[in-house]
This record gives sequence, C-alpha cells and structure tokens, in this order.
Amino acid sequence: MDPILQVEDLTVAFRTEEGPITPIQGVNFAVGRGRTLGLVGESGSGKSVTTKALMRLLPGNARIDPQSQIRYRAKSGEWVDIHRLRDGARKLRQIRGGEIGMIFQEPMASFSPVYTVGNQMVESIRLHTSLNRREARALAIEMLAKVGLSNPGQRIDQYAHELSGGMRQRAMIALALSAGPALLIADEPTTALDVTIQAQVLDLMRDLQRDLGMSMIFITHDLGVIAQIAQDVAVMYLGTIVEKGPVREVLKAPQHPYTRGLLRAIPSLDRLTHRLSPVPGDIPGPSERPPGCPFHTRCTEAIAGVCDRLEPAETMLAPDRSARCHLLQTAGRATA
Amino acid sequence: MAAIEPPRRSQTDSERRARERYYSASQWTLIWWRFRRHRMAMAGAAVLLTMALLGLFAEFFAPYGPTQRNATYLNGPPQMPMFCDHNGCTLRPFVHGTRTERDPVTLRSRTVPDPEIRNHLQFFVEAPRTRLMGFIPVERRLFGLEGAQLHLWGTDSLGRDIFSRTLYATRTSLSIGVLGVLISFFLALSIGGAAGYFGGAADYAIQRLTEIIRVIPVIPLYMGLAAAMPREWSTTQVYFAMTLILGAVGWPTLARRIRSQLLSIRSEDYVTAARLSGARSSRIIAQHMLPSFTSFIIVDLVISFPYMILAETALSFVGLGLRPPAVSWGVMLQDAQSIRAIEQAPWLFIPAGFVVVAVLAFTVIGDGLRDAADPYAGAR
Amino acid sequence: MARFFVERFLGMLVTLFVVSIMVFIIMELPPGDYADRFAFRKFSGLGITVTEADIQAIRVELGLDRPAVERYFSWIGNIVLRGDFGMAYAFETPVTRVIGDKGWLTLGLLVVTLLITYVVAIPVGIYAAVRRGSAPDYALTVVSYLGLALPNFMLALVLLYFANRWFGASIGGLFSPGMQQAPWSPAKLWDLITHMWLPALVLAWSALAYQIQTVRATMLDELGKLSVVAARARGVPEGKLLVKYPARLAVNPVVSTIGFDVNRIFSELPIVAAVLGLTELGELLLRAYLDLDMNVAGAILLILTTIIVVMNFVSDLLLAWLDPRIKLGG
Repeated sequence: MDPILQVEDLTVAFRTEEGPITPIQGVNFAVGRGRTLGLVGESGSGKSVTTKALMRLLPGNARIDPQSQIRYRAKSGEWVDIHRLRDGARKLRQIRGGEIGMIFQEPMASFSPVYTVGNQMVESIRLHTSLNRREARALAIEMLAKVGLSNPGQRIDQYAHELSGGMRQRAMIALALSAGPALLIADEPTTALDVTIQAQVLDLMRDLQRDLGMSMIFITHDLGVIAQIAQDVAVMYLGTIVEKGPVREVLKAPQHPYTRGLLRAIPSLDRLTHRLSPVPGDIPGPSERPPGCPFHTRCTEAIAGVCDRLEPAETMLAPDRSARCHLLQTAGRATA
Repeated sequence: MAAIEPPRRSQTDSERRARERYYSASQWTLIWWRFRRHRMAMAGAAVLLTMALLGLFAEFFAPYGPTQRNATYLNGPPQMPMFCDHNGCTLRPFVHGTRTERDPVTLRSRTVPDPEIRNHLQFFVEAPRTRLMGFIPVERRLFGLEGAQLHLWGTDSLGRDIFSRTLYATRTSLSIGVLGVLISFFLALSIGGAAGYFGGAADYAIQRLTEIIRVIPVIPLYMGLAAAMPREWSTTQVYFAMTLILGAVGWPTLARRIRSQLLSIRSEDYVTAARLSGARSSRIIAQHMLPSFTSFIIVDLVISFPYMILAETALSFVGLGLRPPAVSWGVMLQDAQSIRAIEQAPWLFIPAGFVVVAVLAFTVIGDGLRDAADPYAGAR
Repeated sequence: MARFFVERFLGMLVTLFVVSIMVFIIMELPPGDYADRFAFRKFSGLGITVTEADIQAIRVELGLDRPAVERYFSWIGNIVLRGDFGMAYAFETPVTRVIGDKGWLTLGLLVVTLLITYVVAIPVGIYAAVRRGSAPDYALTVVSYLGLALPNFMLALVLLYFANRWFGASIGGLFSPGMQQAPWSPAKLWDLITHMWLPALVLAWSALAYQIQTVRATMLDELGKLSVVAARARGVPEGKLLVKYPARLAVNPVVSTIGFDVNRIFSELPIVAAVLGLTELGELLLRAYLDLDMNVAGAILLILTTIIVVMNFVSDLLLAWLDPRIKLGG
C-alpha cells in the first residue's frame, strides 16, 4: 500500500473541569493513495476527535501527545509532519482545504448563514489556487454541476438555508472539493439525510473519489455503509482501534467481539427471521474508561482476571490486518 | 460553574449515602446546593443580608436619628476611631473632640477640632428611647460617645449624621424596592399570566401593549408619573405612591418572561389532563402551572430589583421621588448634586457606594440563582 | 422588500399612535389643569384674588373644558398638521420656541453617544470573546457589572469630582461659557464638538457595558459554530476568519438592539443632563416636570419616543439587510 497519510500512536488529551480525559489513546492507521478508509464506531468512540486531530482543529483545551505522529504526503511528493506544524503556520493553512478537504455531518451548520454558497466556494478556491475571481466562480459552478446540483449558475448565489437537505450536502461536498484536495475526510456525511438521499450521496462520493483519484477517510457508525464505500476499515472503541483491515476480510471474518457485535446489529434481507441483537450495554463516558481492555464491560466473551486487568496488545493477523483482543492472543499462544 | 453531577459509581458507604442524598433531594435543596457553590453569589447574599439587617434595625445600629442635628458640627468630616495620636497609644479606640473658638477675623464663634481631647468610643451606650421597627422599645445604641457626638462618616450641611442617615436610607430604599418588585410581580403575573394562558387575540393585544410601553424611555416615564404626585402629600403617601409607580412601570418585562414560560408549559401533558378533567382556568394556572416555573420567577424578581433601586434613587435624586424629611439613598444624594457640595464635603457621596454595592449584590445573586435554577447552565 | 418595508412602517405608525395616547395621559395626570396653573402664575403676587369663575373663563378660552378625547385629537392634530405643540405656560411662549434648537443638540448628542458605544463595544466584545478567560476578559466582566451598578449620573458626579480635583477644570456643559448664546457658527460647532465627547461618554456608559457583554456572548456562541470550524478546515487565515465568520454575526444583535440603546440613553438623559448642565431636551424635560409644565414635558416625551420608534424601524431594516435569514416577504 502506498500511503498518503500515516498516523502513529495518536493520543489526545483534554483538560476539563472534572480533570483530564484522554478520548484517543495510541491510535495507528494509514490511508492508501486512492483508497477509502472507513472509520467505524459508536458515538463517543473518538472518531470525530481523531479526524479533527488530523487537521489540527481541536479546541484550545485539547493537547496532542508529543509521541504522536501524523505524517501526510503532499501533492508535491514531500512528507509533511502535521503534528509538528505551528498553529497558524502557512503550511498548515495550505494543507487545510488545499490538501485535505473535510465535510461534516450537518451541512446546514457548516455553511455560514450570511454568505452565499458561491461566496464561500470562491473564497476557498482563491485561497488555494491562483485563479482570479471570475475564474474561481466558473470553477465553483463547474464543481456544483459535478456534484449533481441542477441549475448551478443559479444555486451558486443562494444561501444554504435556501437549499434542501440533500442539495446542501452536495454543495458542502463541492465546497470541500473545490480547492482540489488529495484526501477527503467525511465525518458522517450521510447521517443527517433521508435514506433515499443517503444512497444518492454515497454513490456520488464513491464516483467522485474514483474520478478524481482522491483518497478518503469516511467516518460512520454504520458498518453497512462501510461495505458500500470503503476498501479498508478501522473499528474504534473508546479511543482505540480494536480491529482493522481490508473491508471484505473484516466483514467476512471479524476477529474482535465488538466488530462481531456491530455486524449482528445490521439488518439484512437474508436474516429477516432473526431478531437484531445490538451490542449490550452503553458506551462508557470518556472519563470512565475501564481498566484493562476498554470493551470488557460489555464483552460476552471476556476472560475474568485478564480482560479487566491487562490492556490487550495489537495482534497482527496479516500484514494489513490486526485486532486488539486477549482472545486472539491466548488462541495464538495455544496454537503456537 | 459546573452543575453538580451525580457522584460516580463507587463502592464506599459514605459515597453511596451522598448519592442517595443527591437523588432524593428536593428541587429547592438542589438549587440551594448549586447556589452555595457560587462564591460570588454567596458573597453578594452576605452583603445584602448585612445591609438588610442594618436597615431593619437602624434604630439600634445608628447612633442618632435620621433628622437629628448637631449644630456644632456642620459639614463635618468623617471621624475615624483611632488607637494612636501624638499623645501616644491606647487600647480603647477614641476620636478627637472639638472646642469652640472665636474667629480672629470675623469674630464669629466656630467649632475646631481639638487634638488634646480624647473621646473614647463606647458600645451599647444609653440613648433616648426609640422603637425598633416602630414597636420594640430600645434605650441603647450599638456604639456612641458619652458627652459628645460621633460622626463616623461626617455630617451634612445641617449637621445630620451621615452614617445614621445612610442606615435609615438603606431601610427605605431596600423596602421600596421590595414593594415595587412585589407590585410589578402581581401585575405581571395577572397580565402575563392571562396572555400566556389564553393565548390568541388576548395574547397578541397584551404583547403589543407591553412592547409599546417599553418603547417609552423608562426614567422619563417614571418622572412623568412621579411629577403627578400632589406636592402636599405626606411622606407616607409619597412612599406608597412611589412603590405603585415603580411597580406600574416595571411589569412589562416581567410579564413577557412569565408569558413565554407559561406558553411553553401550557402544552405540557399534565396541563392538558387538568383541563380535560374540567378544572377552572385559575385553578390550572395556580395549581399546575405556577409551581413548575417558580424558580424562574424568583430569578427574574431578583434580577429586576436593581432596576427598582436605581429608579428610586434617580427619581429622588432629581427631586421627583421621595422628598425630605424622608431619607433614601436618592434623597441623601440630592445634597451631593452640585460640584461645590461634593468638593467641600465628598463624604456626602457615601450613599452612592451603598447603591452600587446593593445593585452589584443583587446582580451577582441573580446570576448565581439563574445558574443554580437551571440544571443545564453549567454544561455550557 | 417593499412589503417588509410597508409592514414595518405601518407597525411604526400604530406604535406612535398608542404612544401619543399614553403621553397625553401622562400630561393629564397631575392634579389641576393648565388653566389652574396659568391663573396661579399669572395672578400670584399681584394681589388679585382669583376666583373659580376666572379660572373657568381661562379654561373655556383655551378650550380646556372640552372632553379629553376631543382635546387629545386637537393636541395631536396640531402637532401632526402644523408642528404646533401648544403653549409653554412657564415661559408664555409656544413650546416650539422653548425647544428651539435643543432637539438638534439632543440628536447630535445621541449620534455621538451611539457612535462611541459601537466603536468601542464591538471590537472590545470580540476581543474579550477571542481571549476568553484572560486577564483583560475578567477585567471587562467587572467593568460590565459596574456598568449596571454605577448609574450614569453617578459616574458623571464622580468624573466631575475628579476633574475638579486633579485638573481644577469644570467639565460640564455643551458649550464654553459665552458660546451658549452665540449664533451658530463654525466656531460654535467646534466648541460643541470639543464639549460633547464627555457627556456622550457618560451617556454611553451603561449601553456600552451591556453591548460589550452582548457582543462577547454572541461571539463566544459563534466561535463554537461548525461553520467556523468548517472555514478553518478550508484553510482560511485566522484573522480573516474571525472577521468574516463569527464577528460578522456578532454584530447582528447589536444592530437589532439599536432602538433599545437609544431608549436606554434617553432614559438616562434627563438626570445626566441635570448633573452635567447640558442644555438640551433631557434637562428641559426635567425642568418641565418640576414646573408641571406638561405641554413642554409631553412634547419632549413624544419627540424622544418618536426618535426611539424611528430608530427601531431603522434597526429592523438594517438587520433585514444584514441577515439574509430574515425573510423579506414578511
């Protein structure tokens, strides 16, 4: 795999009134050039914090651990250590938008209500290219057409609140792509949409990714969506990646009890006779992270005395496939 | 301020008890707990309580009556009790006395301070009989001098003791605020309640009316009403008229808040249930709707206090409110109106400090109560 | 746009109509009427006994014996049609003469006060929000508490005292002595400008404290919005980002409360004017109330309120122009 982004040992801590919390602990993953990585987990698992950390968009009370490494391969071919960039550095600004684009769950809130869609697109294009105002506007219209908005010449002068939900998310995608990023981070882009529109937007994103040769990080809580759009998947639970690998293999043979639980919770046509079984229990708050394996409080296969004491190490199952579970280690030891 | 969170899961007994106490506490206990953690608000409450007590028992704390004059000490500067002077030190605080001498130029007799006389401060001194709050007789004052007069904060041009007058003024100004707030609350509750409960056309009409009343600048409006008070009215009549005026002008803001609260509660299920079971409107409002937003009302009442106090002070200050011989902060500040007066006797400005401190205290208490009454306030 | 404009304009007229009724009621409130006061003033000290019949004669002559409704319509009709506010009894001249150029002075003072308020409050509020929790932010919070607790007229007294003590200067008034009666000239205008900033600052005091807090709160709210994060994620430089996204929206509540600020400033005006010796409408209003010259008082109250209502209208229009979310269709 030719990586465009490598994240090693990412740890993020927040200062809060109730004391420090660490919602992200030792996260490792890589995104391949031209591939899509799906990041899956329940809300509160740290998916959004992870992607915000990649763009250095965390709030002031957050701190990225000095051990962490976020390395990005720019279009020019050089490697940029994002974790080392100064706040407000020129390079960071170039990366934001120009190299890595980002779209969010709520398209309405992502647009400023007092500027037209075109205003914000032209701003972004002119920040990252040398186009003049008129050329930037032409490009913006072209992008709006590309994401499938009818009448783009007219839409460009509308405000976000004048568009429908699906159109807004398309406009948001156009805005994120307008400066030609090589990597797109999509934070639950379809969650707030109707089911039919969800499918349309997913198709659109898949097509765009293929046509533009982009890489993508796609965040969702829905493994079903992952199957449709991603080639690789990483499953997060309470700030750590519990399992990752190529989508087909992970879905076919999940190794971590949590991944298996998520899979059982997906409705599917060939299992209509079974009741859906959600993962039991609730995800603990970030300040109540259990000792040992973070999942042991909800795991039906937990080994008493082991899972609640020791944090499981990463077990490499294949060069591009791994999981963090004591069951795998004991199984591995038994066969060895 | 962070809202109190339920204690975390843990094993010790005391913590479990604390948790049980938390879950079984009533709404008011919870509010009190949260309020207690608000240090500024607690300080404000302490200051206000002190003021209220000083004012309430002014007959005991003030060495002299509000209109009692000391003809030998006109426009006299504050006398600070001291322990040391050029004659050495003592453990009993004292102030210097005065003597009368003839001015060598004008030949008029005048009072000058005499650093050779020491008048020692005495506590619980005997004094002419007065009645606490008008009915409990007292024959002692907290402190004073024997055979001379002590003016902690100086005197005005008539020789009246500023300290004593300020305490009596505190009583008047605070009580006028309380009555004003109660009257405006009563009006706001009836009018805003009607608007919020009936909705529709009544609501629309009342809404527009309150909007329009709020367009007229407040103090000129107060002044217009106050100017209409007949000059020959007695102090008591003026006092009650003032509370009415304050209440009459203050209600629209409160009414709007009550209305919007009521509108949101009106659609709750238990109100519908009460209506379906045939309860009368007034009963539904009083029995079912009021209790659920009492805490909001209390916060609003506390917040509207400063406006009452400031309005009274402003009106009395320009001579349209209370008039001498009544004493309020505003009436006292009348003497500090001209630049010459403040130049010669800056201590006349002391009551202004009381106004500022009282308003500040009410404001921080209001903020503390608002945070305490709103369980989500801390999350933001 | 046209419909929005017409609707707001009609709303303004209705408000003015109701306000004029309330002003009229206030004028009628004091015991006795214009005839009583007129008679008392005219004949007192002349040794003439005034009988009830004399007063009644004056009353009939001035049309004061008519019912209140009729008198209201003749009062408001004269104002609207002829700009005639009736007679000021204390001066025995028309109210318009008594008011003279004081209306313009008041308007000028108002404009300068508003300018000071916004020029200071908007940047300071934004700064406090961006530097949230810093020492300047806390200092500003304390100042805003004081803005409510220390009424403007007390601030005026304090400033008078210290100006006198430290500089030996008298800082009151709108003009230098001698300039007051002079005809309008560039020199007089300059004199006015050099005198006006201090009263304007005193008048701006509480509005300023309030608006700093409003701007700060809105700005804090806006800073946390997703649209700001999204703009940052597009690489917009921080300075430009602050101005274009959150600050642009933090101005909206200020614009929407212009009428409210004018109200607050006019509310403080009479007392501040009395303390600082400003010869404009506020001071005249106070004197009129003290003299029970209700024709003058009513005229001024109506003028001040009209300015407020018009400013409300202007602020509505400005806000509609600034915020595309407000549907212009109504």
